[in-house]
Amino acid sequence: MVKIESLREEAKNLLKEGKVKYIIGYESGPNGLLPKPIFIKKPEEVEKLIWDPTCVFNLTRFLADEKRRKAKEKQPDQRPVGVIAKGCDSRAIVILLQEKFINRNDVYILGVSCEKEGVLDERKLARKLKNRKPKKVEFGEKDNFIVTTEEGKIEIPAKELLADRCLECKANFPVIYDVLIGEKTQRDGEKPFKALEKIESLSQEEKWNFWKEELSKCIRCYACRSVCPMCYCDECVVDTINFAVTADTSAEEKAQKIKWIDKSPVSSENFVYHLVRAIHLAGRCVDCGECERACPLEIPLRLLNKKMEKEAKELFGYEVGMDPTQPSLVSSFKDEDPEDFIR
Amino acid sequence: MKKLGSYKLYAPRKDEDIWNYETIEDSETLVDLDYQNTIVAPKKIIFPQREIFLEFSTSNDNSLEIREVLPDDKPVVIIGLRPCDGRALALMDKVFSGEFKDTYYWKRRDQATLVGLACNTPPSANCFCLTVDGSPHSKEGLDILLTDLGDKFYAESLTEKGDKLLGEAKGLFQDPKPEDKKEVKKIQAESDEKISRQIKNIKNISAKLKEMFDSPFWDEESMFCIRCGICTYLCPTCHCFDINDEVASSSPLKGKRVRTWDTCQFPDFTMHSSGHNPRPDKASRLRQRMFHKFQYFVELYQNFQCTGCGRCISYCPVGIDIIKVLDKVKDYGA
Repeated sequence: MVKIESLREEAKNLLKEGKVKYIIGYESGPNGLLPKPIFIKKPEEVEKLIWDPTCVFNLTRFLADEKRRKAKEKQPDQRPVGVIAKGCDSRAIVILLQEKFINRNDVYILGVSCEKEGVLDERKLARKLKNRKPKKVEFGEKDNFIVTTEEGKIEIPAKELLADRCLECKANFPVIYDVLIGEKTQRDGEKPFKALEKIESLSQEEKWNFWKEELSKCIRCYACRSVCPMCYCDECVVDTINFAVTADTSAEEKAQKIKWIDKSPVSSENFVYHLVRAIHLAGRCVDCGECERACPLEIPLRLLNKKMEKEAKELFGYEVGMDPTQPSLVSSFKDEDPEDFIR
Repeated sequence: MKKLGSYKLYAPRKDEDIWNYETIEDSETLVDLDYQNTIVAPKKIIFPQREIFLEFSTSNDNSLEIREVLPDDKPVVIIGLRPCDGRALALMDKVFSGEFKDTYYWKRRDQATLVGLACNTPPSANCFCLTVDGSPHSKEGLDILLTDLGDKFYAESLTEKGDKLLGEAKGLFQDPKPEDKKEVKKIQAESDEKISRQIKNIKNISAKLKEMFDSPFWDEESMFCIRCGICTYLCPTCHCFDINDEVASSSPLKGKRVRTWDTCQFPDFTMHSSGHNPRPDKASRLRQRMFHKFQYFVELYQNFQCTGCGRCISYCPVGIDIIKVLDKVKDYGA
């Protein structure tokens, strides 16, 4: 069992010794079940850190913010940022390292092992509890979660509440860390990529109709992009931020700046946005599940992005996010790579 | 439902786990009002996320043709609006009137009869309508207010449009008995007690905010904001928009001028054509949202622009909580 005291102790020492600028962790949510991210700067504040099945967020997303912040400072503090990372989160850090977006000494990874469990899917819990409101969820003994509602505590088998990605998880513990809290115990996960089986069995037309219906709900809030640790581009295909304007830029040039995707949330544009994002995640998506969790319309985005992970494995034998010394998928090749699509 | 044949009916519908307003096409479908609240506010029916203003094309002789595209002439009934969402439309009405009355907004607004549903229990754990001068049985913005009495609904008409609709559905209603009216009053009083999240007395929040414009408070509060558009797109009163030309072909020229929702939380919202951006960071954008809701709107229209529906709190992916921010503003510097 991961002891929260060990986590807090590690965090406290790091801050006392000034080894890190601050630590990104989870604190109790102000209202409702899910926790809030917190930046801890002072050693005394470590008491706010929590660790329980509700810690679903991928905190590595905030490493991009840190990089931007540093870029604006004249004499930035060069100490690393501490981040609490689960197995899936650590794989996101591996990708950031592979792509040289951050350096290894920019981040101090406080790895936490999910041990035998994983994290909660809030929607599954809401369905299970129906109208009862959950206040707290804790790890129990014997593969159960202990859920506290107004009516008291109930034990529910973790399997029924785990996030879908946890059921297939292959890295139950961080693959890269500076310190590891908890043990590297393996869990009997489901077959990898099981979540994709249902949709893969559909015909081409059925798949098209499935996505057409799902994406018709999309309101293009871009939460999926904003919450993804891998979407760190300064100018995204949907934005028009960094159009370099000089004194010589004509009005016509400004008016005709290419817009790749129209702002209208119509089928064609929604498809292009989501498919382009999925392609940009090929060999980079670690299935942290944040995109699907953040989507207010509950669009099953995991299916799209996880397919990219599967393609990486099946076509190129590439395991996404395991080895930071490995080059990224799209910037490398092996002699054995398949060539049957080259005519 | 059959009686409403001449109207287009919008009601909350459940798709797997989520509720959203959709049109009810056939008269056999029952409207299910046993719901909390929809994810996207009903503002999307009066103020759609995509509105075509006009179409343009050039013909063979190179002359430009511009055709205005107005909303359909079909009268609409929206049923099941929560009082906060109804009130939100009353607030949006102020924005789209004044010196310039927005043709598109008002065509849809005038054609719509809004049948609200009072909240016997708060639809969300994050409801706070009472804090912002609303109430779970507010009548503002609505044409009819329904109260669920368990085995029947009590319908109260509030406007001429409401009278007209009730008149058309005459056979479906009976006159209320005195005990029905008593029950309604009882439910209303009880529902006021059930709103769990409240901040007492935020009358001076507008003045307080004004003092805090340059404060580092906003840097701290916006630390975790991930710059998505959830808070603004789900908000029943947010109404900022972008206008773009969507060109289908350039020769011959054919395209549409389209209005779409936009959000002050996207980094390029205030990007000027010079390249300057007066709101370059998250702090200034979060501040903008708070000020627009609780300071600018108060100065312009003497009302908070927030109706306390709680959607921004429930759906923010990183747990930024507008009630907590208001609380901190209230106590700031004390």
